[in-house]
Amino acid sequence: MTPGLGRSLSRSDTLLLGVCLVLSFAALLLPSSWALGFSAAVRATALAPMVWIQQNAEIQRTSRLRLAAIAASRDSAALAAQSLAALRAENGQLRGLLALKQRVAYPTLAAEVLHQTAATDGRTLLLSAGRRDGVQVGNPVVSPDGLVGLVVSAEPYSSVAMTWAHPDFAASAVTENGSALGIVGPAINTSASDAFLELRGVPYRDTVAVGTLVMTSGLTGVYPKGIPIGRVRGIRREEMGWERVYHVSALANPGLVSHVLIYLAREFRPVSPARRDSVR
Amino acid sequence: MTITRRDRRNRVAFVIALLVAGHFYVRPWLENRIAPDLLLLAMLIVAMRSRPGIGAVVGFVAGLATDILTPARFGAGALSHTIVGYLAAWGRAVFFPDNLIVNAGLFAAGAWVRTLLVLLASGASPAELAGTLLVWAPIQAATTALAGVIVVMVFRNWLAIRLDE
Repeated sequence: MTPGLGRSLSRSDTLLLGVCLVLSFAALLLPSSWALGFSAAVRATALAPMVWIQQNAEIQRTSRLRLAAIAASRDSAALAAQSLAALRAENGQLRGLLALKQRVAYPTLAAEVLHQTAATDGRTLLLSAGRRDGVQVGNPVVSPDGLVGLVVSAEPYSSVAMTWAHPDFAASAVTENGSALGIVGPAINTSASDAFLELRGVPYRDTVAVGTLVMTSGLTGVYPKGIPIGRVRGIRREEMGWERVYHVSALANPGLVSHVLIYLAREFRPVSPARRDSVR
Repeated sequence: MTITRRDRRNRVAFVIALLVAGHFYVRPWLENRIAPDLLLLAMLIVAMRSRPGIGAVVGFVAGLATDILTPARFGAGALSHTIVGYLAAWGRAVFFPDNLIVNAGLFAAGAWVRTLLVLLASGASPAELAGTLLVWAPIQAATTALAGVIVVMVFRNWLAIRLDE
């Protein structure tokens, strides 16, 4: 290597280091919305070629390594589709008999996850679909296993999802049988390999059995009802004798998921009877 | 045949471009947590050929790119890469790494320290810090060092790296 010998730290080196450190600390203190906006702008311009390269590599990997699995999935889907029409008709009839409204089917979009090297990669995920594909901020993201998170930034050709491992994540949840409602959020003070969720705000009188499936309640309108989140592993702690916090193992692993589905809708509130009548 | 300074600069730029493209193309084919960080490697190679101040700037730019692609804690990557880039350039001046093992050690240390600083700046819990730094970070540091050794051996003439025999 050419330089190096006899090289000493000059004032300009210290100055450059100082400027870079000040800018780094300024970036750390930047409000989240500004940081996301800046990141989105740079991703859509200067870093667009890099995102494009990774996106294509991911597509090639999928097409080469997972051809057999995809073919098997397609065959299963084709088999299931044969009986789908009959089941749908039967479901419609039964719902009609019970005077229940039809379940809304939300449009979804498949996207590749473009994993990065940073140790914090599992907290946010870069996705290969963006605004041009209909993705918007607030769209829920799911994997075949369960809920992954929520889109927090969308550019023309890519988007960023905040996963359930992010400290800011929260979702209104309900147990499988509907007996207990609560808020699901990530547990703090856990290692990355042992990250899990907590089901908070469950009244003391409501006991949730180990193994119970926890899913989105659909109450806040952010997530559609019924997306699996995780399974209860036990009681984590009790708060002042009025609330229990349950340990929930998430079904979807953001660090390993390679493909996701993005719900292309932002409001999942059930239509109120009054509004339904006014529409009629 | 004489190689002009411009030719040498173009060759270094080509190797760096190759590493950056490889970082984004090779990544999906490998297990994410243990894959070599070729972007960090490119940054270290540039930093080790530069003055500490330039190393800090190159580190800042590479870290900012990392933050933009993983905005879980914006600024953590920029801060960690700035420090690692500065230390790599400074370390080059102190340690004279004209030896393959010392080069590998610098690459590995750079990768591990970068992960440590990212986790600290991200407010990771002690359990997460310990788990990542003791298991995944050393593996990634080792694969990055291995990739670095291969790059140094293949492009030693282009990068004008003199290795002790």
